[in-house]
Amino acid sequence: MIKVKNISKKFIIKSNIVQALDNVSLQIEENDCFAIVGESGSGKTTLANIILGIYNQDSGEIWLEDRQLTSKRTLGLRKLIQFVQQNPMSTLNPKKTIYNTISLPLKIHKIVSNEKISERVEKLLSYVGLNAEFMYRYPDTLSGGQKQRVAIARALASEPKVLILDEPTSALDVIVQSKVLNLLLEIKKKFNLTYIFITHDLSVVKNIANRVLVMNKGKIDEFGKTMEVFSSPKSSYTKTLIRAIPTVTDEEDAIKPQ
Amino acid sequence: MSNSLLKIEDLELSFKMYEGLSYVLKKINLELSKGEKVALVGESGSGKSVTTKLILGLLNQKNVTKKGKIIFNEQNILNLSQKEFKKIRGNNISIIFQDPIAALNPVFKIKDQFYEVNLNNRSMSKKESFLIACKALEKVSIRDPERVLESYPFQLSGGLAQRVVITMAMINKPELLLADEPSTALDVTIQNQALDLMHDLTQETNTAVLLITHNMGVVRKFAEKVYVIFRGVIVEEGTKDQVFKNPGHPYTKALLSSIPKLTSNQLPKFDEDAPDYLSIAKYTHR
Repeated sequence: MIKVKNISKKFIIKSNIVQALDNVSLQIEENDCFAIVGESGSGKTTLANIILGIYNQDSGEIWLEDRQLTSKRTLGLRKLIQFVQQNPMSTLNPKKTIYNTISLPLKIHKIVSNEKISERVEKLLSYVGLNAEFMYRYPDTLSGGQKQRVAIARALASEPKVLILDEPTSALDVIVQSKVLNLLLEIKKKFNLTYIFITHDLSVVKNIANRVLVMNKGKIDEFGKTMEVFSSPKSSYTKTLIRAIPTVTDEEDAIKPQ
Repeated sequence: MSNSLLKIEDLELSFKMYEGLSYVLKKINLELSKGEKVALVGESGSGKSVTTKLILGLLNQKNVTKKGKIIFNEQNILNLSQKEFKKIRGNNISIIFQDPIAALNPVFKIKDQFYEVNLNNRSMSKKESFLIACKALEKVSIRDPERVLESYPFQLSGGLAQRVVITMAMINKPELLLADEPSTALDVTIQNQALDLMHDLTQETNTAVLLITHNMGVVRKFAEKVYVIFRGVIVEEGTKDQVFKNPGHPYTKALLSSIPKLTSNQLPKFDEDAPDYLSIAKYTHR
């Protein structure tokens, strides 16, 4: 579905050159839950931003099915790839009601006619487990988990094919995290979505992704099916990452690589 | 002489809000012995961070009502004056915050911030302080302590800054270290290093640690004794093995089961209507 070919991107900060992405190629299939893992500064968010068209790459190409993606893209292409960010507190505009937040993509992409917008917003909220009463509330009256649900509803509004989820649950408590992750899987099935799931939490990846890409310092360190990467990691960096996962049972410790 | 270092008895805390009183802590009891590593686990809003603030005497606003006792070294410190607290803070009790970059003052170099901590109840020249800080940083395997001391906080990486903060907290060899989510802002590998470092340093000086966190994995790695807090009530207490292998309270069970496991391939499922955890009595392992 998405093909990334030899992407490189560097940032120049003062006189230092930071190679954020170094010749990265990958292919994401339809209906994948494709996880990108790595530590801070490994380039995972930069890769997501380039796929979204927030910045342009220095070299390389990105294809969505048979269309090439650049940072200058038409509305029709933009609506196909949507984004859920890490911090639900800062991703929603505090001055806008939830209704305004969710209806904006509906208006921009002309998904439904003006009379039907409110009906549609209600429906989108119900997909993420919130009732219609939330429409007229402001973000600061919502809990972290509820805000993240609103952010997911907003991303769904334009009827995308691909959702990029950048650490969607790392700002949430464990129980809430588990509920939001379950919700995401449900939505994926319902709308036939492809997920690009960016995270540093490997135990989450193990439980939801079918393929994993491990990034280290802008390069691809390891790539494969989740089961294979976890049961027999090849690179030493992946082993270090898996070993470092804080676990809660002895059985988990037993299967960590030595 | 008893071995108890910190004892919290029936501690209650409420904030006066526009809507009325908000009860944040409801009769909390907690005990730490010298050199013991204790974890206080709970979700956001459970009251774990305000507990550390009370221990350090940082909640003195007019809208705060506090009751009960915090006994530190056989002295009730709950209602001490700020002047008296100044002697305790940094010397007997010190704290590590969640975000190391935010905990350091961005307009001062690291060496000046060390100087301020070193000066606490001691007279010392800047040169002496620099040497002491240098030695301390070398001990936490920072290779170029001089460069670190001459830097501003924003020039350091997260892991390095957390090492600096931990070193700073430990430099006066406190009896009690409060660690408020010390590793949440860090990557997994660096998180492990920070926890190991905290463990080694406190072991050396026999410092007791109260670790505040929501991460059960971190608790399992670090703590000896665990308290689970839910909406201002301690719902379970016990040793690490008891709580992890045989959790008694439904809330603790929910916390443990909600963590995605390495051994499974599917997310844990939840029934949406959680039981009313508060109506269930506290579970103490005997």
